[in-house]
Amino acid sequence: MKILVIEDDAAISELICMNLEAAGYNALPVFDGLQAEDVLEKGDCRDIALALVDVMLPGKDGFALMENLQKAHVPVIYLTAKDDVVSKVHGLKAGAEDYIVKPFEVLELLVRMEKVLQRTGRGREKIQIQDVVIDLKEHSVTKNGMRVNLKPMEYELLVTLAKSRNVAFSREELLNRLWGTDYVGETRTVDVHIGQLRKKLDFHEVIRTISKTGYRLEG
Amino acid sequence: MKLWKKLSVITMAALLVSTAISGVAVIYHSLLYNQEKTIENYKQQLNAVTYAMEKELDYEPLRGFSDTTANAYYDYVIKKYDASSYILLKENEVVCNRTPFVLKNPSDDRWRTSMGECIIQKKGRQYVLIAGRNVPVMGVQDYSLVLVRDISYLYEDIRRQAFFYFAVYFGMALLAVFAVSAMTRKTLAPLRELQQAAQDISGGMLSRRAGVSAHNEIGEVAEAFNIMAERMERQVEELSSESERRRQMLGSLTHEMKTPMTSIMGYADSLLHVRLTQVQKESALRHIYDECGRLGRVNSKLMSLIGMYDNDSISMEETSIKDVFEAVAALEENNLKTRKMKLKYTCRMETRFMDKDLIISLLVNLVDNAVKASVEGAFIYLTAQENIISVRDSGCGIPENEIPRVTEAFYMVDKARSRKAGGNGLGLALCSMIARLHGADLRIKSRTGEGTEVSVIFPE
Repeated sequence: MKILVIEDDAAISELICMNLEAAGYNALPVFDGLQAEDVLEKGDCRDIALALVDVMLPGKDGFALMENLQKAHVPVIYLTAKDDVVSKVHGLKAGAEDYIVKPFEVLELLVRMEKVLQRTGRGREKIQIQDVVIDLKEHSVTKNGMRVNLKPMEYELLVTLAKSRNVAFSREELLNRLWGTDYVGETRTVDVHIGQLRKKLDFHEVIRTISKTGYRLEG
Repeated sequence: MKLWKKLSVITMAALLVSTAISGVAVIYHSLLYNQEKTIENYKQQLNAVTYAMEKELDYEPLRGFSDTTANAYYDYVIKKYDASSYILLKENEVVCNRTPFVLKNPSDDRWRTSMGECIIQKKGRQYVLIAGRNVPVMGVQDYSLVLVRDISYLYEDIRRQAFFYFAVYFGMALLAVFAVSAMTRKTLAPLRELQQAAQDISGGMLSRRAGVSAHNEIGEVAEAFNIMAERMERQVEELSSESERRRQMLGSLTHEMKTPMTSIMGYADSLLHVRLTQVQKESALRHIYDECGRLGRVNSKLMSLIGMYDNDSISMEETSIKDVFEAVAALEENNLKTRKMKLKYTCRMETRFMDKDLIISLLVNLVDNAVKASVEGAFIYLTAQENIISVRDSGCGIPENEIPRVTEAFYMVDKARSRKAGGNGLGLALCSMIARLHGADLRIKSRTGEGTEVSVIFPE
């Protein structure tokens, strides 16, 4: 899945691309507005699932690019240092799917991207990790073609980790995200479920414990 | 008490008292004069009548007349000369008195002088003039004639005159009170305008001026006031534009900090949470290092920018321009060598009053910019003549519409390229600040593709 990254600062562009690729996306970096216009007009943008756009760009700014992006049916997330309400409202009103203010966390970026992709019907239907395939439509998991029975929370946990693969989640984060903030549980609950997943899918090496952080699904 | 009231009262009091005193003096003087004139008149009349009477009384048969006959004769004579005014005395006895008055002291010596005596006697509300002298009949010396006249009319006249005078006086005084107070108010009206203006200004209407055009002391005060208000307004404007500039700079600063912060945070976050290859890890670390360096450079430039707001840190002295140029050349030597460029300088300026370090920093910044704009092997010219020091290159130039903005802090014409060259958009802001501290102007002439010339124009 290809993500268009329109960002003029080389360091930030590389940062975004690095993380997108780690999470299993293909990143297409573009460094100014005119270049972005070129890419969008050339027509090979059918496989672009999403564009991450900086607002202040040389050549043509991010707000002005919205027209080109909409013509190419590419959903837009603005990724910008402008954190004033006027810019946010302007960006969202113009048709952006989301608006992320710099500096941002990698996990937040990935989760928001995932949400936008789902909302626009571009979400992944299947996620493959080694010999395990997660069918997001069927809510089923197979290993080597054999169906693996997972409890609902085990399934949700697997999907969350798999969607942002290679990115570490803390136990608290997982607890909040899956069990909800109202859940009066201990982070032990997460450990128990992780243990179940490792056992059922033979993911002892895939789901790694990251010291002082939490868990990361690698693959 | 208000000034106009005070002035009116003082003026009025002085005016009224002086006119009243002079009025009374004039009236009193005219009373004395009239009295004297009247006395003179009656004396003459008395003398004339005495002369005539002398003839009548020097009548031989009279001596032989009986008393009754004599009295009848006197009666006859007196009647001939206005009987209502004269009393005839003989040997200290009244022999004939047809006046409405009674002579109380007929034996008084005053009535026997040959020159005539005169007194004025007040009787109730009446003023009576009494004048007497002897009538020199040959042989007989004891006849006297006394003139008695009611002269109340004289005083009545003066009283009427005084009454009239004071009536007119009070009328005019009333008018004068109004006139004086109106005039004082009018003269002092500009003061009220001045007060209003001062109130308005302290209330925030800084552009308010006192509209006073009087050519007197008040006008001068108003003029001084307006000059003061003018300067105050200018100062307030300067202050607010200064703080506006600072605010803008702070805004740009926070924005400018965000880009390196985003990189640093993002890469650190990735290193902590994301599975990266060894190459990616190294790249992330390098980025963090580079961005920290960028923050450091922004920081140090900013420090010098802010440091310069405290004007006391500047030490101005007569500085040799040649020394400055040599210092700049030395500082830029490495930079120029790596890009194979040459700095050519011509110095036709001896010395100038300036802060040497700041001017060197200004010129180094300008030469740095010129180096960044030029291609390898190019020449950069540094010249000083008359009151202008300029740095000229034949590099890429600045688009015309961007020229007015390049001295704003954090403004960059080509952000991506400028960043790559280690720029942070503060150089020219720093230069224009240094120029301003020297009372100099920064003039930028540039044409895209042909080159740029930045001149520091010192006051003549």
